[in-house]
Amino acid sequence: MGLISEEDRKYLKEEFKNNLKREVKLLYFQQEESASEYSEQTKELLEELASLSNNLSLELESCDNAEKMKSEELTLCPSIKVKSERKGFVNFYGVPAGHEFISLVEAIKDMGSDNLSLPDEVIKDLKEIKERIDIKVFITHGCPYCPGAVRNAHQFSLANEKIKGSMVDANYFGELSMKHRVSSVPHIIINDRNGFMGNLPPSLFLDKVKEALK
Amino acid sequence: MDFSIQKKEKDSGRKHFAAAIIGSGPAGLTAAIYLGRSKVETVVFEKVIPGGYVVNVEKIENYPGFVEGIAGEQLGKLYAKHAEKFGAEIKCEEVTKLELNETPFRILTSLGSYTSDSIILATGTSNRKLGIPGEEEFTHKGISFCATCDAPFFEGENVIVVGAGNSGAQESLYLSRFAKHITIVELLEFPTAEPILIDRLNENERIDLLTSHSVTSFNGDKLLSSVDIKDIKSGEIKNIKVKGAFIYAGEVPNNDLVKDALKLDDKGFIVTDERLRTSIGGVFAAGDVRNTPLRQVATSVGDGAIAGHEAYRFLEERK
Ligand SMILES: Cc1cc2nc3c(=O)[nH]c(=O)nc-3n(C[C@H](O)[C@H](O)[C@H](O)COP(=O)(O)OP(=O)(O)OC[C@H]3O[C@@H](n4cnc5c(N)ncnc54)[C@H](O)[C@@H]3O)c2cc1C
Repeated sequence: MGLISEEDRKYLKEEFKNNLKREVKLLYFQQEESASEYSEQTKELLEELASLSNNLSLELESCDNAEKMKSEELTLCPSIKVKSERKGFVNFYGVPAGHEFISLVEAIKDMGSDNLSLPDEVIKDLKEIKERIDIKVFITHGCPYCPGAVRNAHQFSLANEKIKGSMVDANYFGELSMKHRVSSVPHIIINDRNGFMGNLPPSLFLDKVKEALK
Repeated sequence: MDFSIQKKEKDSGRKHFAAAIIGSGPAGLTAAIYLGRSKVETVVFEKVIPGGYVVNVEKIENYPGFVEGIAGEQLGKLYAKHAEKFGAEIKCEEVTKLELNETPFRILTSLGSYTSDSIILATGTSNRKLGIPGEEEFTHKGISFCATCDAPFFEGENVIVVGAGNSGAQESLYLSRFAKHITIVELLEFPTAEPILIDRLNENERIDLLTSHSVTSFNGDKLLSSVDIKDIKSGEIKNIKVKGAFIYAGEVPNNDLVKDALKLDDKGFIVTDERLRTSIGGVFAAGDVRNTPLRQVATSVGDGAIAGHEAYRFLEERK
């Protein structure tokens, strides 16, 4: 049996069939030299996912390819960037396992469709943002409050391409978590400086992002 | 690593429902099963993920039928699947406002607005805060309310758990797999957890239980580094060095949506009759959020069944 259960595969096939109106690519930067169980399982997972829809493909890249990492505007590795013709920076640093698996599924569906599940006033506010904003959402796999924050970050990026949204596996990127004093999740870091905590609805999440920019 | 789907949303695009349930814990989802089987168009709103508080609990050992216990996350998923099987629509949206003064009732959420002919409140409880110095400052900076979320940050560290009830005891046992040492601080002279849990605490070398003590302040610089605890009997105050503090000192009802509209008891829990009707016709309350003598999965499931059945009866009588 693969990493995804037969029942979930069936469900995902259907979801992808109904939602992927365009091609979506999973761009996976992996650490080749220190091939750990972590990165091997991630690769296996992405291969299984890619096999579930003709509109979903996997491209493997090495973390050593600094140029490509730079051109994709990625700063940490491993990373899974979900790409399509739709504009937006929808990214995962580390593995979206446990409660985060759903975030990856939603990200794929969003990139393959024109879906934007945000209230109109939030979309309007987001579109007015002129500066570049990098949102990193630190998570753990056992945190049920985290997928909501990851989804906000990703959806914000779809509403305004100046915004980058990334999930960060706080345990895997332990040093970075320590640098930002992450001891509780979800912990959101804006432009690698200020941050805030907690699972918030989109409008409050946006207020906090703006506050953190000051 | 686990890769299984946590929520399977279906979106009918509908904006009006015969029954709206707020909260997808054991109470809300059981009500949805009963309403679904009665062919009532039902929506369930959830602000976190389907399943309710149980998804935070590593293992539930006292829910009948699961002799070896069941992972809370698994149980939550089963409830959601069961409710969806009978037609309930689960929406991951936070309800931000309820307008209960006229029917259909109006429901505003983080993503939109809906109406419904009946409402079941199943919003559960949140952990009670202690209201002591340093608590606000160090919340999420060492102080946590979710062991399954934050335990990995305290690998090899000293932590305290406030409260030796069932929740505090269960979470201490979970934390002992990560932390070097756990001090449970309990205000009362004795722990109130089930005896079977107390035995396990006593057997665990990493856990010490301090009864008749209270935490008086959380201290640190940018992150929590120590707590002051007071011996209730002698009045002596000690400082212990800890990186983490997990608070399980009772619950407060999640009543924000209805606190000015419904009758509440002196602790803020929603008052219902035995048919789980609240002070407004067509509005029911079920599970931990209402005035009930025991807050558990089994009792919440029982409440959900009654509330679902009663909401159906209410809708039928109005026809
Ligand atoms: C640490 C711990 C361990 C426990 N262990 C056990 C155990 O072993 N056995 C046992 O039987 N019980 C246990 N319990 C108790 C059990 O979890 C609860 O009794 C049960 O979950 C209550 O169910 P409920 O449906 O009433 O509420 P909840 O499970 O709390 O569900 C309420 C839901 O409503 C949602 N919600 C709240 N407000 C809104 C809003 N405005 N909009 C949308 N959604 C909203 C919440 O996000 C939540 O998902 C434990 C509790 C704790 C804290």
